Amino acid sequence: MSWIDAVRQRFRDLLAGERADRDLDEEIAHHIELETERQIRDGLDPAAARAMAHVRFGNRTLISDAARAERGPHLMEGSVQDLSWALRSLRKNAGFTALALVTLVLGIGASTVAFSVFNTVLLRPLPYRDADRLVYIRERNAKGDFRPPSFPNFASWREETRSFAGVAAAMYPYSRTVSASGDAEPERVPVLEVTHGFFSTLGVAPAIGREFTDAEHAPGRPRVAMVSYEFWQNRMAARRPLGTIRLGDAPTPVVGVLPRGFRFFQPADVYLPHEGNPGTVRSSHNYQVIARLKPSATLNAARAEMSAISRALYAAYGTETEATDADVRPLREFVVANYRTLLSIVFGAAALVLLIACTNLVSAQLARGWHREREVVVRAALGASRTRIARQLFLESSLLVGIGTAVAMLAAFGAINAIRVIGGNLVPRLSELSLDARVLEFSIGVALLTAIVVGVYPALRLARRDACQVLRAGRGGTSVRSSVWRALVGFEVALAVMLVIGSALLVRTLRNILSAETGFDSHGIVTAAITPQESDVARFDAVAAGLRAIPGVEGVAFASNLPLQWGAWSGPVRRPSDPKDRDWPAMAGFRVVSPEYFSVLRQPVLRGRAFTTGDRPGAPGVAIITTGIAEKLWPGQDPIGKSIATNYLFNDWLTVVGVVAEASNWSMPHGTQNEIYVPLAQREANVGQQIIALLRTEGRPTAVMTATRAKLREIIPHSPAQIGTIDERIAKSAADRRFAMIALTAFGIIAIVLAAVGIYGVMWYIVSTRTHEIGIRMALGATAARVGRDVLSNAAAMAAIGVGIGLAGGAYAARYLRTSLYGVSQLDPSAYLFGAAATLTVAILAAYVPAWRSSRVDPMEAIRDT
Amino acid sequence: MERSGDLLPGTFDMLVLKAVSLGDMHGWGIADRIEQLSDGVCAIQQGAVYPVLQRLLRRGWVVAQWKASDNNRRARYYRLTASGRRQLADEIGWWRRSIAGVDRVLSAKPSEA
Repeated sequence: MSWIDAVRQRFRDLLAGERADRDLDEEIAHHIELETERQIRDGLDPAAARAMAHVRFGNRTLISDAARAERGPHLMEGSVQDLSWALRSLRKNAGFTALALVTLVLGIGASTVAFSVFNTVLLRPLPYRDADRLVYIRERNAKGDFRPPSFPNFASWREETRSFAGVAAAMYPYSRTVSASGDAEPERVPVLEVTHGFFSTLGVAPAIGREFTDAEHAPGRPRVAMVSYEFWQNRMAARRPLGTIRLGDAPTPVVGVLPRGFRFFQPADVYLPHEGNPGTVRSSHNYQVIARLKPSATLNAARAEMSAISRALYAAYGTETEATDADVRPLREFVVANYRTLLSIVFGAAALVLLIACTNLVSAQLARGWHREREVVVRAALGASRTRIARQLFLESSLLVGIGTAVAMLAAFGAINAIRVIGGNLVPRLSELSLDARVLEFSIGVALLTAIVVGVYPALRLARRDACQVLRAGRGGTSVRSSVWRALVGFEVALAVMLVIGSALLVRTLRNILSAETGFDSHGIVTAAITPQESDVARFDAVAAGLRAIPGVEGVAFASNLPLQWGAWSGPVRRPSDPKDRDWPAMAGFRVVSPEYFSVLRQPVLRGRAFTTGDRPGAPGVAIITTGIAEKLWPGQDPIGKSIATNYLFNDWLTVVGVVAEASNWSMPHGTQNEIYVPLAQREANVGQQIIALLRTEGRPTAVMTATRAKLREIIPHSPAQIGTIDERIAKSAADRRFAMIALTAFGIIAIVLAAVGIYGVMWYIVSTRTHEIGIRMALGATAARVGRDVLSNAAAMAAIGVGIGLAGGAYAARYLRTSLYGVSQLDPSAYLFGAAATLTVAILAAYVPAWRSSRVDPMEAIRDT
Repeated sequence: MERSGDLLPGTFDMLVLKAVSLGDMHGWGIADRIEQLSDGVCAIQQGAVYPVLQRLLRRGWVVAQWKASDNNRRARYYRLTASGRRQLADEIGWWRRSIAGVDRVLSAKPSEA
């Protein structure tokens, strides 16, 4: 028994309709027999007795119907029949069914996946308790720029505000060397320092143990730590009690484990109380501040209050802080703000794919309807009502959509799991991706809509056929008007063109980002972030010598942070003539680098000199600045030899010895950031906890990366290194575009495939309805090539209309992409040309098989066949 | 006398229930019992019992079972359930009250109006 039979049997058993019919028939037959026998006993002859029995029984059909009506509504029973009919019909046309299912799975699957991404990232509340009460607070300066707050400003806010049930901060995560137990190999893991009440403000309770107490935040207390669930499972072997981990050199008791999957923007493995040694500079920008609104407080009231507090702070500390105002916005808005547009575009693209799928199904149903016309009119002639026929046809397409949806959901489930694993670090919150009730509702809604769109028009059209007309017309019946085909195919092609244009624009954007002019040569630079301990600082030379000995390494330099990595290390710079007040002439990033830095990165020194080994402790303090600072502070003058100070160095005066071009970063609004470089030998104290070794390599960096790891383990065994490449970082910084590009390209390919299937189907249909006509033309002397060419040009004409519309639609829709593009105009002609050419080519290829078939028509057979 | 259509509404269901309550029986037997017991007064179209039986089945007042009949043929026998018995009692009570009421009206004398 095939599975379809099994399904049918199941339905029969469930509803038992047919068995009840058989019972009734048998019962009535028995009744008539008994009555006939009685009439014979009463003296009638058998024939008369039987007639009498029938008379006494009454109208058998009416009574059967009445009895059946007592059993339950007609609808169910008819539906069982219709359902088995629909299943049979779908099975009979396996080719059509398979193609339709593929179309449905692609269409519904794509939109389900896109919606679940949209839902997870943009619609679902953050995974914290009452997350809609959480806000994110930043400083705002006089220019209107948003900045992360400094600790003193955060502390003032926390003290003075009355709008919030809790205000807390975290630093930006950094990495530290941790070993989970005495004998475990140390490794570098991300660490997040938080202020007291951070977790309770977020609304996250530890899975095990407790949050930090206020006492543990007090200065001078020995440190304690909390760890992530994943760290506790993988590194601490899920041990209880939690015991102690080794943080750098210091044994640190673990007091709590966070819930599985917890993250605050980025995942961290170790959480530390911060306030034992908080930041003291009011003008720095290195905290992320969250707060929870009191039940009685509104967002607007909180905004007004925070603004007032910040203005008062500026009045009091204006020389120390540049913050003139505070920006308060819902945390969720902050988390996903950059992704709203891109994800909406991805979602829109999925909707286009679904539209194409529906169009395909409608045209396939219409084309198939032509082959079925005779079947339908014969049924009608035999007494089937029009509603019954329409209902059957509608049921058939609904069944198709139902099966397609079920398969699509399975496919979507797989795709969602894959996206969560691959994309979890590309787009915030994607690690939470899952199917939930809302996604299911959406998909069921989409399926219902699809069933209606796909089922209603073809069903009504077919059911309304006039039997006489169709039967008289012989095989072929009445064909769908060619304008309908033109519209359907054109529509599909137009949508496909739009998607291809979008994906081409994003592909170019990504390529531009990856090859963007950075001001130095990033290709082949391997980076190793290491955390030397006090004793190692003297061993930089040893580290450099060791790394330089690795085959393939051409040069080694050190820097306090990675090139193109901005963030906490920026502050004001000034000339001796500038007053120490709020009007900073320029802001600059601050970097401590070794003498080889510029030569290793191949960042040209435009004026003056690079650092040398002569710039050592005791020698005059020197600095190298970027052209942007030079132009701001000393326009039209030679900056070499001038004095400059930055508040990071407690206003030590430095002599400018060189000028370099800015290293630019595509993600900066203006492309570049000013930098002030100081020599490592003079500023070891300012390096911070980690230092980056930069290795210039020849050839593939992977071998060097492995060798670097081994070498560093040998030189500084207790301090594992984080190894990567700059190109990798640049690629990662474009992750959002990459995600959108992959999605749009995938949808673009699906769209083209679906459009090709649609064109193929329509052309096949047109050729089969015209076999007779083609036969006559060939009999009259048209060559096979001529006939085939006509079919192709017919397809090309339909596609061309669609391409025209698609180009216009693409230009309209590309406006929404504008902010996501880089180095390419939203009206970039090559993208449009590509979209048009690709789609047109595929359209003509798709028409090729039907065209070939038309050229193979045997005129004799075609004419005789009718 | 062919006046089955004139039976009070619902009466026929009650008669079928009553007929079944006298002992498990098949459709023909039920129709025959009603005819015999009423001395032909309730000689309705025999087939009319089948829609009623379907209705009683659906409401759970009777159950049906295929069994060998007296002359060894397959017949579908109906049997009253407990709820069918309660239903029958209710209907008989309702019937007697109705008849009594109707009877009082019919035997009224002019002076009582």
